[in-house]
Amino acid sequence: MGLHTNGLSLEVVGREITGRPVQGRPRRPAGPYLLGLPALLLSCLLLIPIGVTVVTAFRTDGGFGLGNFAVMGDPSALHAVGNSLLWMLVAFGTVGVGFLLALLSYRLPAVTTFLQPALVIPFAVSILVSGATFRLIFDPTPERGTITAVSTRLFGSSPVWLGPGLFWLVLVSAFGWTWLGYVVSLFRTGLDAIPDDVTRAITAEGVRGWRRVRALEIPLLRPITGVITLTLVIAAVRVFDLVLIVVPGSMQRSADVLGLNWWRATTTGGDSGRTAALGVVLFAIVAAVGLIGVRGLRRRRWAMPVTVVRPDPSLARPKPTRVVRRFGWFIGFAVALVWIFPAVVLVATALHSPREAGLHGWWSFSGLGFSSFGAAANVGLFRALLSTLVIAAAATAVLLVIAVPTAYLVAWGGLPTRLGRIAMGVFVVLAVTPVQMYAAPLRDAIDTAGLAGSRVALALVHAAAGLPFAVLLLRSAFASAPPALVSEALQGPARQSAVLATVQRTYRPALVAVAVLEFALVWNDFIVGFLISGPGTTPLSLVLWGEARQFSTSSGPVAAAAVVASVVPVVLMLSFWRIVVRGLTTGSRP
Amino acid sequence: MPSSRRVFLGAAATLLLTGCSSDVLGLRRAVRVAVSWSGEELRVFHKVLDGLGALDYPVEVVPLGDDISTAFGARSTRRPDIVMLPQPGLVPRHLADLEPVPDDIAQLGRARLWKELLVHEGTTYGVPFKTAHKSAVWYRPSVFRQAGVEPPRLWSEWLTLNQTLTKAGVTPLSLAAGDGWVLTDFLENILLGIAPSVYAGLATATDPRPSQHPEVAAALRLLGTMWSAPGVLAGGVKESLVQQFPDALVEVFGHRRAAMVLASDFAEPVVRSFAADPDDIGLFTFPPMTAGAAAPVVVGGDVMVLPKPTTEDARDLVRRLSAPTAADPWIAEGGFLVDGRTSGYSPELTRLAEQLTKPGEQLRFDLSDQLGRIGDINGLWRVLTDFLIAVGRPGAVVPDAVGDAMAELRKVEES
Repeated sequence: MGLHTNGLSLEVVGREITGRPVQGRPRRPAGPYLLGLPALLLSCLLLIPIGVTVVTAFRTDGGFGLGNFAVMGDPSALHAVGNSLLWMLVAFGTVGVGFLLALLSYRLPAVTTFLQPALVIPFAVSILVSGATFRLIFDPTPERGTITAVSTRLFGSSPVWLGPGLFWLVLVSAFGWTWLGYVVSLFRTGLDAIPDDVTRAITAEGVRGWRRVRALEIPLLRPITGVITLTLVIAAVRVFDLVLIVVPGSMQRSADVLGLNWWRATTTGGDSGRTAALGVVLFAIVAAVGLIGVRGLRRRRWAMPVTVVRPDPSLARPKPTRVVRRFGWFIGFAVALVWIFPAVVLVATALHSPREAGLHGWWSFSGLGFSSFGAAANVGLFRALLSTLVIAAAATAVLLVIAVPTAYLVAWGGLPTRLGRIAMGVFVVLAVTPVQMYAAPLRDAIDTAGLAGSRVALALVHAAAGLPFAVLLLRSAFASAPPALVSEALQGPARQSAVLATVQRTYRPALVAVAVLEFALVWNDFIVGFLISGPGTTPLSLVLWGEARQFSTSSGPVAAAAVVASVVPVVLMLSFWRIVVRGLTTGSRP
Repeated sequence: MPSSRRVFLGAAATLLLTGCSSDVLGLRRAVRVAVSWSGEELRVFHKVLDGLGALDYPVEVVPLGDDISTAFGARSTRRPDIVMLPQPGLVPRHLADLEPVPDDIAQLGRARLWKELLVHEGTTYGVPFKTAHKSAVWYRPSVFRQAGVEPPRLWSEWLTLNQTLTKAGVTPLSLAAGDGWVLTDFLENILLGIAPSVYAGLATATDPRPSQHPEVAAALRLLGTMWSAPGVLAGGVKESLVQQFPDALVEVFGHRRAAMVLASDFAEPVVRSFAADPDDIGLFTFPPMTAGAAAPVVVGGDVMVLPKPTTEDARDLVRRLSAPTAADPWIAEGGFLVDGRTSGYSPELTRLAEQLTKPGEQLRFDLSDQLGRIGDINGLWRVLTDFLIAVGRPGAVVPDAVGDAMAELRKVEES
């Protein structure tokens, strides 16, 4: 910029402002720190027991040492570790298949119409339910088991699907059925976020097919792949109830996983130091995977999800031709049909009388009716539903009340950088900590406090367990607020409340995601309630568990209980799925 | 309409209030009853509880299945107030964890057989709720008629019978190898039949070493001979391994793929509800092993014990459950024997009840329960499952499998 007067020319050069506009250290009021206090107290519910477990694991008769880890030399423990590692491979496989499915639904948009709801339903039901469903499908008698019936009809005989070795197929199917919906939805959102000009440019250069996937989609989806892999690997290492319900007793030894091994060791009154050591090993595996996964997200500074910008409708991709659409429609329909099939089996089995369901498969036409529901109701299903509702609602409410201010504090509360990093690190570690790490000391403490069996205590533990993930998710949602908006709010007269109001308005998807996921998680929970409070307080799972002891002859009541238990989470997930995915990927635009 | 909205809100509030009653919240101390039953048995037990009338306290039933013995382990969670222990043999091992039963019902625990397990130094630590006859074989008479055979009166006759049936194109046995206790029951019957004194010795030993008794190996050999016969097991060993106890019953009576199944009296409701032909149900008791020897009768049952510390409510519930008429709803459903009672059952169960009360029978409590760790899911159950797999392999040599099983048993004893 310059001034010209009377032949005199004045150059005015602006100097960039470096440093703060106001000198001195920023004033850090102590007030906001109080926002984190409830979260700190709640986290202590987990942190202290984890500390106790670690100390127990390393304490030996003569002081501290690795003596307890000799338990890993035990062949059964080694076998369990091996199986847990196999489960991690299963998780990677699921991610791969999910990626391909997402790519398919991206290239053939019509697929999505059918695929989306079909994929969400399994994610909403508990793993116990999906295990029960697949055990029904793979039942070894040709009268009851769908797959056995089909292969007997086709080949004259059938392998014993639940038999040695083959039960893995049933386990993996149930796991994949549950998780693929989540994987596909997240990948799909990531694919949608790839700017169309990039796609067009790379297509114009003649890069197609597999080369295009490698050059374009895989690198651009790396962060979201990190999130998905992390979630799945943790789910795979935590596998517990699935094995219990699917694998017949005589083979549970060969299906043993670390979590299960730990549980058997504690229930058979094993040495507490050794069981603690097992828990620490399990934790070490999960933490290692977690840290590797999070490293990929490092650039996002612990921001779990990736930012996804909704595509501008004016720049939408060209509509595929009619043939392609028809083709996509057909494939989507077929995949959706296959995917919805287990749910159909479950509902159809539940609609048979207990006798008929025990004798024949879901396709039989005799004995239809609601008597299986009646039988399930007789063992206290509805009272269990009510209890579960209370626990899930309480846990969700507590979680939201505590997680929102905490996430706000971490995102915008002006925490010193290092403290913020430590806090986030702790939350990441807590988010991946398996329940076995804190179950034993925690339940002892609850017993001592005379709260054994109290559902309030259980709801608090659930809230504490859900807190790390909720804070991570909300924090990244809060943190991705456009700075202009936030600074505007910060300069306003009512600073924090204004920010909170903005945040609330803008980041509702993340809040909804946290609430819906926590509610569904607690509703479907088996392992936390089972390990913390014993089998009595996880009412819904308890009914399923009790019925599943004599699996095939109880097929009808088991299926009925499973259907009733699944209605609430399925409706919840189906209604909020889009918002949940947006919340998970912080996909809202301000 | 404001009024209907008010009604709705009122109803919602009421629902919420009842929902949050202390009962649902788990704040009120319910009497927790740990049981091993599931499915139909669990439902009938709920009926029994309902039949007790109004109680001053809520009752919560906790189905623990095969892990019931953990109910009073040192690190148990939410210790139950009453345990319906399906392994009465565990009582002597847990005396320190148990309260004596109230004096007014203590005499129930002093009945024949039960006394040696439940009474210690004059104090009674449990009362029987349910007796189980574990030496019963359920079969389909129509198949036996077709093949022209009679229920066996000797072990050797049973082996011949199996051969006859196999030749006639009928699979003789269905085996629920998915449940380990079914396998141990089989072995116990044979051992009790060939060497009652060894059985008794093992049952009462403080440090039992079954692998040091050649009689155990002999029993295993006999068992292996039966199981390894070609075509004797429905679906072969592979399918047997995935069958739970009721599945094996459905194989025989529902799908009619086998002729008989070794199953206790409590199989009755499953047999009756899944039988394709309700009149085609027969029962024989485990035959004597040699001519002149007494037939083995392995007894089990569910015994009510009170883990420490107990409450007045729990004592009250035990008292009510041990009343003579308490189990009537279950007896009406079938598959329930009351200790010492021989009437009011179906004809099949009446025969079993009579055998249980007849003097001079070779009655013994389930052995595996009394072996502690050696007899449980990681001990004998596992050893026998592996044994079954071994003898089921084509070209299997039974004595080798017996040798392996005994070696495995020794390992369990030493660990």
